[in-house]
Parts: sequence; structure tokens; C-alpha cells
Amino acid sequence: MKLTMPVLALVVAVLLVASQALYTVDQRQYAIRFQLGEIIETQSNAGLYVKVPIMQNIKFYDKRTLVLDNTEPDRMTTSEKKPLLVDFFVMWRIVDVKQYYISVAGDEEAARRRLSQTVRANLAEEINKRTVHDAISGERDKIMSTTRQKADQDAKTIGVEIVDVRLRRVELPPDVTAPVYARMESERRRVANELRSQGQAESEKIRADADRQRTVILADAYRDAQKIKGDGDAKASAIYAQAYGINPEFYSFYRSLEAYKATFRNKSDMMVLDSASEFLKYMRTPSGNPAPKAAK
Amino acid sequence: MSLNDPGKRGNSGGPPDLDEIWRNVNRRLNELFNRKPPSPGDNNTDSGGGGGGTRPRLPLSGVGILIALVLLVWLASGFYIVDEGRRGVVTRFGKYTETTQPGPRWHLPFPVEAVELVDFSQVKTIEIGYRNSPKNKVDKEALMLTDDENIIDIQFAVQYNIKSAEDYLFNVRKPDLIVAFVAQTAMGEVVGKAKMDFALYEGREQIAKSAEKLMQEMLDRYKTGIYVQKVTLQNVQPPDKVQAAFDDAVKAGQDRERFRNEGQAYANDVVPRARGNASRLMEEANGYKAEVVERAEGDASRFKQILVEYSKAPAVTRERLYLDMMQSVVGSASKVMMDQKTGNNLLYLPLDKLIQQSGPGTAAAGSATTPVETNPSRGGVPSPETPSAADPSRSRDALRSRERGETR
Repeated sequence: MKLTMPVLALVVAVLLVASQALYTVDQRQYAIRFQLGEIIETQSNAGLYVKVPIMQNIKFYDKRTLVLDNTEPDRMTTSEKKPLLVDFFVMWRIVDVKQYYISVAGDEEAARRRLSQTVRANLAEEINKRTVHDAISGERDKIMSTTRQKADQDAKTIGVEIVDVRLRRVELPPDVTAPVYARMESERRRVANELRSQGQAESEKIRADADRQRTVILADAYRDAQKIKGDGDAKASAIYAQAYGINPEFYSFYRSLEAYKATFRNKSDMMVLDSASEFLKYMRTPSGNPAPKAAK
Repeated sequence: MSLNDPGKRGNSGGPPDLDEIWRNVNRRLNELFNRKPPSPGDNNTDSGGGGGGTRPRLPLSGVGILIALVLLVWLASGFYIVDEGRRGVVTRFGKYTETTQPGPRWHLPFPVEAVELVDFSQVKTIEIGYRNSPKNKVDKEALMLTDDENIIDIQFAVQYNIKSAEDYLFNVRKPDLIVAFVAQTAMGEVVGKAKMDFALYEGREQIAKSAEKLMQEMLDRYKTGIYVQKVTLQNVQPPDKVQAAFDDAVKAGQDRERFRNEGQAYANDVVPRARGNASRLMEEANGYKAEVVERAEGDASRFKQILVEYSKAPAVTRERLYLDMMQSVVGSASKVMMDQKTGNNLLYLPLDKLIQQSGPGTAAAGSATTPVETNPSRGGVPSPETPSAADPSRSRDALRSRERGETR
């Protein structure tokens, strides 16, 4: 028992001293050890470190990559004097914690303000050199990388590295979007009209083609029909000629009789007959001789 | 990645083995005491050695037991459980030592080691341009400029998980916020390089893919330990203000189709009909041909047959044919017979009156013949048929048809 009390006291004392003299640096942190306000040492590796109690104190700073976001989009002007709203964010981290502490007194807010100003100024300058189109698409990468380089130069003076500058949003201010919408609308109208008239043109073309086909088909058919009819007529003629050619004189007679029959078919046809005609010869005399004539 | 380290995987597999854990404890204690700087090491060997040394020598000492108990409780505080889908990230005096797999684990108790648990395989989603539902738009995020300086309305979601727990914990502050920022900048860049029509219609898939790739590149550059699984475009459309015009353009496309179909319908109506008409013409022509030829043959045959008979007795046949004809001709027509022999040179024959009279009726028939009857003794030969043309309209019709026949 006599032995245990002093042992316990010793243990407690050792723990007390240890708690004051030891400190850990987290994986995520830098540490600066001050002795009466003067920087003695900076630690960038995590682990357990020793300090002199009371005399020395420690401050921690973030070692991670931090993100800086401008709260409101900035209005910047392009080379053709058009306004653009640019929203960006910056990835940055402390690389030289001593420099950082000296420059901005370890105040992250101050550092952010400083970086934000630098980046904004550089970005505005880059945008100012370029057209809207370049800022949106063509040279977006270049704007970002140039701005990063320039801002990085400046950031080094406060012990900070600019890892990246990204354009989060590039947009037109609300007061200039109206013409854009109007243009988009008119463009669509153009497209719509084009489509419609194309449709009508095609429709007309199809109709005209159909009409043409109809005409051609009918004409072809007419031609063929006439050919067939002509063929028929020719054949018929040949047949007639062949038959009637056997005795043309009799044909003439026979055909005339047919024709007379055909022409005088109607009762209203008026015939004036001379009694001297051959047909009526027996009507005059039973002998059929033109006796009265002879008598005369 | 340290997760794939073979030594550590062996540690993670299998059921919790108390022996192994105890061995692990011993190993770590030894490791710690052998490695650590002298000042804290001395301190700990004192207490540890005291605890370990006193137990066998003074088993009955109350203080010893107390110390041993305190020590045990202290050691026990190092146990922790890593849930499935999580990883434990262990730091020793703030310095990263290892990442542990799911299961019961032990680390050196406070203040030496600490563990942080990270949701490893849980998929997180961020939504850009909308919140919760695509209907709930956030215009400030959704409207983007395209290469041709048009504005489109784009809503998308990013699904990501953590591929390296230690990177996620140690390299960046607010990694989830960074994912959102990176998503916006990547999409802005991809859309900014695309034409509006491409972004709106055919290029959607490609845009999502490009944005996904760009995001992953950036997140890897910042060593965030985040893996982008998928960028899904929820909605890509023209802004509300010009939506009507775009809809109309789509309608116009359909109108074009409609016009085309109408034209085709007309064609499909007209052309077959023309074909039908054409075949009718052909058939008629064929019919005509057949008719003409057959008739010719018929006529020719009839003529030939008569000719045969005629050549047997020409005079008689000729006479007969003539008389037959005359009979039929004179028999069917109205007739007036004159006798030339009267010698009356001034014969007045009022044909027009005769024709008129032959129309009105039977009563006139008698008188009609009388004036012509220059020789009453012989008398006319009044056709019995003449008065029978009683119906005036018929006779007029017949007259008209005759006139027409003449003009033809």
C-alpha cells in the first residue's frame, strides 16, 4: 500500500505533463508551433509531436484542397462589348503554411477574399479579350487555364496554390436574353415554314407526277386502241377487197342495191316515180314493151 | 489502393476470430512501443510494464487489480464494428494508417488511434437544374448557353459513390459540394461546345457521356476519391419562353408528312383509275376490231355465196335482186307516180306540201294525191301506207331525221 500511492501520483503527473507537452497533427492539417508568438517550426506530416508546455502554442491549418465559390455571378464584358454573367469556383490549397500565416494572419476568410479578387480580375481580363462565342465554347479551357496560371502566381505570395479555376456557369444577363429568345423563335419559325412548304412542294410534285402519269397512260392507251382499230379496219378492208374483187361489176350492182335499200327505208321518204321507169314497165303494158312510145 | 492489399484482405475475411484479434492487439502494442519516440514510449512502458509486471507478482493486491481493470476497459474501448457498405479509416496520432473492411475491428484506444467510418458503397445523387422532381425547376442552374449562342434548358442528375475512403476524407474539404460544382462546370462546358439541335435531339446520350468523363477527370485531378457512376439527363428542352415555337416546328415536320401523304393519296387515286380507263379503251378497241373483222367476213361470205348463185344464172338473178330491192324500197316509201307522156311540161309538184300533208292525217291523204294526178283517168297509185303515217309527231320526227341524214 505504501508503494501504490506514490506510483499512482506519478502516473497522474506523467499523464498531465504529457497532455500539455504532446500534440498530434491530423492527416488533414498543417501545424505551426509558436514560441511566445514567434514561429519556430511548421509541421506538414501527421503524427505525434512534442512542445514545451505553456511557453509554446500550436495553430492548425487545413491541408486539404478547398473550394472557393463566388456567391453571385459576376458581370463581365466580352470583346464585342456584350455582357456575360460568369460564375466560377476555385480549387485551392495551402502549400506554404508559414507564408500563409504571415500574409493573411492565418485568416481563411481574408485568404478567400484575396483569392477571389485576384481570380475575378484575371478572369475578367481574359473574357474581355474574347468574344461571347469563344468564352462559351471555343476557348473556355484556355480562359480557365490562363486564369489559373496568373492567379497562381499571385497566390504563391500568400503561400497558396491555385489547383484549378473553373467556369461554373457562363450565361447571358436576363436583360439581354430577350433578343436571343426572339432569334431562337424566328429561327424555329423559319424551320417550320421551310418544313411546311417543303411538304407542300412535295405534295404538289407527287400530284403533278400522278397527273402526268394519267395523261401518259391514257395517251398510250389511245394510241394502242387506235392501232388495234386500224388493224381491224385494215383486215376488214382486205377481206372485203378479196371477196368483192372476184366480180367487181356484180359487187357494184349488189352493193348499190344494198345501199338503195338502206337509204329508202322510211315511210316519209318521198319517191317520185316516172311511169317510164324500168320498174314500172309492166304497169304500162303487160308485155313490158314501151308500146305507147312506139305508137307515138 | 490499400484495400486490395493482400495482407489486409486476409484480415477482413472470415468470422471474427478472438485469438487473431488478441494477436493483432499484441502485434500492435509491440509495434507501437518499438517504434515510438522515447518520451511517450517511456511513459507507456512504465504503465504497461507496471500493469503486466505486477499481475503475476502481486495477484492479491487491490490496486493492481484496479489498474488491470482500468487497463482492460481502456483496451476494450478500441473495439468497433464496420457495417457492411462502410469502411473504417484508422489514424494513429492523426496519421493515416489503414482502411478496414466491414466486420468487428480493433484499434489502439484513444488517444493513440482513432477511426472514422465512411459510407463507402452507398450511391449518392445530386440533382442539377431541379429539385426532387423535374417539374420543380431551378432556372438558375438549368439554363445553359450552347455553341451557337442559343439557350437550352437542361436537367440532369449525377450518381456517384466513393472509391477511396481515405482520399475522400483527407484530400478535399466538402467533397459533395465539389461534385455539384464539377457537375455544373462539366455540363456547361460540354453543352457550350455542342450545337443546340445536337444537344436537344440526337446528341443527348453523347452529352451525358462526355460530361461524365469530364467530371471524372476533374474529380481525379482533385483526388477526391469519388467515382462518377452515371450522369443521367432528365430533361433537355428549349426554354419555356420559346417552347411554343419549337413545338410548332415539330408540328411542321408532321405537317410535311401529312402533305406528302395527301399527295400520295391523290396519286394513288388518279393513277390506277387512269390505268382502268386505259384498259377500257384497249378492250373497246379490241371489241371494235373483232366486230369490224367479223362483219367483214360475214359480208364477204354472204357476197361470195350470192356470187356463186349469180354466176350460175346471171340475168335472172340480177333481175330478181333488182326487183327485190325495188319492192322493198318502193314498198316502204311514200311515192308519187307521174306519167311523162301527158306532155305537160310544167309539172307542179308541191313536194313540201305533200310532206306536210302526209303528216297531219288520213283525211288529207286523198287530197294530197289529187293535185298531182295529172291524168285522172289513169288515176294515182295511192300508197296504202301513206295515210298510215297518222301520228304527226312520228312523221315529223321521221322528217327531221331525214333532214339530218341529208346534211350529214
